[in-house]
Amino acid sequence: MNFDLLVKIVKRAEELGADDVVASGDESKSWEVKFVDNRIATWMSSYEEEVSLFISKDKRLGLTTIKDLSKKSIEESISKLLRFTRKMQPNPEYNGIAQGPFKYKPLEGTYDGRIAKLDERATDFVEAGVNSALAEGAVRASGVLKYDAGEDFLVTSNSVEATQRGSGLYFSIRALVDKYASGHKVCCSTTIRDFKPEDAGARAGRVAKKAVNPVKGEVGSYDIIFDPYPFANLLNIAMDSASIFSVEAGFSFLGGKLNKKVASREVTLIDDGRMPRCLSSSKFDAEGVPTRRNVVIEKGVLKTYLHNTSTAKKYGVKTTANAGLLSPKPWNAVLDKGSYSEKEMFEEVRRGLYITNIWYTRFQNYEKGDFSTIPRDGIFLIERGEPTKSLKEIRLNDNMLRMLQNTVAVAKKQEQILGWEVEIPVITPHVLVKGVKVTRPTS
Amino acid sequence: MHEDIADFAVNYAIKKGADYAEARAEHSEGTAFAMKNGVLHAAGFQKEDGIGVRLIVGGVMQFLSTNELSRSVLREMIDRAVRAGKSSARVASKIEMSDAPVERVSYEVKQRVRSSDVDSRGKIAELFDIEAELKESRFSIPARFLSLSDDVVHKCFINSEGSRISSIIPYVGFFSLITVNNDAQTAQRTIQLDETGGWEIVKGWNLPSKVAEEANVLFKNLKYGKPAPKGKVDVVAAPEVVGIAMHESVGHPYEADRILGREAAQAGESFMTPDMIGRRIAKGFVNVVDDPAVPGSAGYFLFDDEGVRARKKYLIKDGNMNEFLHNRETAFSFSIKSNGSARAMDYGSEPIVRMSNTFLLPGELSEEEIIEDVKLGVYMKSFMEWNIDDKRMNERYVGSEAYLIQGGEITHPVKRPALETTTLDFFSAIDAVGDKVGYHAGTCGKGEPSQGVPVWMGGPTVRLKGIRLG
Repeated sequence: MNFDLLVKIVKRAEELGADDVVASGDESKSWEVKFVDNRIATWMSSYEEEVSLFISKDKRLGLTTIKDLSKKSIEESISKLLRFTRKMQPNPEYNGIAQGPFKYKPLEGTYDGRIAKLDERATDFVEAGVNSALAEGAVRASGVLKYDAGEDFLVTSNSVEATQRGSGLYFSIRALVDKYASGHKVCCSTTIRDFKPEDAGARAGRVAKKAVNPVKGEVGSYDIIFDPYPFANLLNIAMDSASIFSVEAGFSFLGGKLNKKVASREVTLIDDGRMPRCLSSSKFDAEGVPTRRNVVIEKGVLKTYLHNTSTAKKYGVKTTANAGLLSPKPWNAVLDKGSYSEKEMFEEVRRGLYITNIWYTRFQNYEKGDFSTIPRDGIFLIERGEPTKSLKEIRLNDNMLRMLQNTVAVAKKQEQILGWEVEIPVITPHVLVKGVKVTRPTS
Repeated sequence: MHEDIADFAVNYAIKKGADYAEARAEHSEGTAFAMKNGVLHAAGFQKEDGIGVRLIVGGVMQFLSTNELSRSVLREMIDRAVRAGKSSARVASKIEMSDAPVERVSYEVKQRVRSSDVDSRGKIAELFDIEAELKESRFSIPARFLSLSDDVVHKCFINSEGSRISSIIPYVGFFSLITVNNDAQTAQRTIQLDETGGWEIVKGWNLPSKVAEEANVLFKNLKYGKPAPKGKVDVVAAPEVVGIAMHESVGHPYEADRILGREAAQAGESFMTPDMIGRRIAKGFVNVVDDPAVPGSAGYFLFDDEGVRARKKYLIKDGNMNEFLHNRETAFSFSIKSNGSARAMDYGSEPIVRMSNTFLLPGELSEEEIIEDVKLGVYMKSFMEWNIDDKRMNERYVGSEAYLIQGGEITHPVKRPALETTTLDFFSAIDAVGDKVGYHAGTCGKGEPSQGVPVWMGGPTVRLKGIRLG
């Protein structure tokens, strides 16, 4: 992959009649080590090279991904895309792509060349994580270590030429004492220096050990302290809901609430494409606009939706540099840190719950924000500021707006989270939410 | 179709010391269209070629994939995989696979109307026709997201034991989210349709009337729906609700890799244990199967992604827990043969234990007969929100289209009846099974990296006697 290839693709599409052209190239190598019950079960590796091509012709839009990068295949794909796009209906809402050129400031700590050569050291990382979990009392541990490195290229018909390299490390470990006592933690980093799977393993092991002998939780309204891992799941949804695409299509609880209060004063939620050492940080968006820090919710007030150039023009605002090839998308979700230590936060709770993981968050109505989600792994009753009993078989059954508005405390130590149901990096501390509705199966 | 490169990968892996090797070369081609609130938001086509290779080296399972179909790239990846396998052998599980017959076969799902022959203008016309129909509604539908796709997947599977299987399976799919308004209140409904076959299936869906009817039902529920009763009542669950329950509370916990802990850090484990086979979970007329050979189904295949011949599996037979879903690795652990349940989302995904089409088999009662014996209950025809815990015991289904039943008659719509129960309570409450099976499409997620595969789920209408609504 190189610039020349993308420049030729853009030029050829223009020759064939395209108005706007975006060619986005990606060359990536990734590896995954899956471990089960303390042993390595599978090694996976992947090498992919592709060019995504977006064009407009008289406000008609077309998109394809070229995976066979031979000269013949590229020529066929461009010609076919032009023919295909001409048959589409115009999109009256389309307002073009950004005009370059742009200057890009370097990003801090997004690439570590050693990651692509880990090989044997990957086994050491897995062993370190597993052994730490076992040392804390877990009997078995399962999870994955993933690492990747790659390079992105972007060329557009509006004078954009941009490139960047990126790398990432991700470790997810679920430690179990028995089938009903478990803890799950993750750690992620863009560099080997900051990557500590042994910490994740130890923390997962400690939660698992505390979670033994769970009893059935009771229905009611609880003040809940969320560990960063489960709260990241909800913040991922909140930030996806800030994309103007989600708002227009009915997938968002933030529609019609611009400049209105959608959360408590404790909540300042940021989309920061330039976050140092964040797995998704990027110098530019899919149109080549330099990324920036967008305060989406400021002290509880919704300040902006996420836009690309086209949607921004439609709404009379400036792009937030969140262009995907078709729709605006968040880079990450950063919950601004608060003033509480974890200890102080627990002391705020006379009777509540401490949740360490959730999954299967599903909505009854995306626009209203009504949902339920299931805590898994360690769930603890908090009594007079201390986690006491281990609980099981409960469900959180609430509303996104209500939960954000009932967020009464945010801790000061943030953690970067990515997970099975957390698809964008979320940087969040522990969070205390008042009066969350809890239900359980009834017979 | 890339057979030469698949042969090369298998032969090279064996030459480098692998005990077993398989290659799955794929070619897929299709189109996709999305419409948002009447505007064609996205349109595209894709053409993809790639290969996924699995090898076992010194007991370590390796999976590698690439879209760069050159011998030099595969040689380098296999060399590196072999080195990694050897270096990690001391901390690796010793993977072994159950025996499987050598298969040499080709099969194809025919398209009566090839999707690739349909002009893209004709495809987007389907979406505009839905929009036109929705505009005729006498109520407000402020948000409409509609998408339509087609894809033909060619696969060539080769393994070092001599199997060689090629298949061509065409897919068509539709997804929508519609939002209906009444007096500042909104309700939403997702509709998903997936089948294997050609464009004739899309025409047969009658999408404009189907989506408009769903919107109409949603509006009536919003406008006329009363609160659902709470406490113990009879719940009559229609095929869509039965289907999701069969998928979530039978299909998933019967996946042998979950039972063995292989998905512990992802989709979770299972309440099932190997010694539960043969135990009673429901009345004798309850039978639940997973069957990949249902014609036209989203989960259709005749040979799985390990080259094993697919067959119907009775997960619950005559009310007893009967059989788990296996691939060759889990089957070896259970000292049995694979029942052909290995699937991979695409060439870039490892084959893992998956469902295909999971459904309750029919009984003898008509839906009318099931309802006429209910004094007080709820008829839950469709659902919106649902979830289940990672061991597949604690589940919740919240009704979308639902009605009160009084004295054996359906009376008026009810809003959001919430069935929050356990798998054991759900199955022990089934006291009547209908005679007509209905299927619904879904995308089942599992694995890491996450793999979404098309499935059907379904069953006939059932009655859950004296079950608590929250």
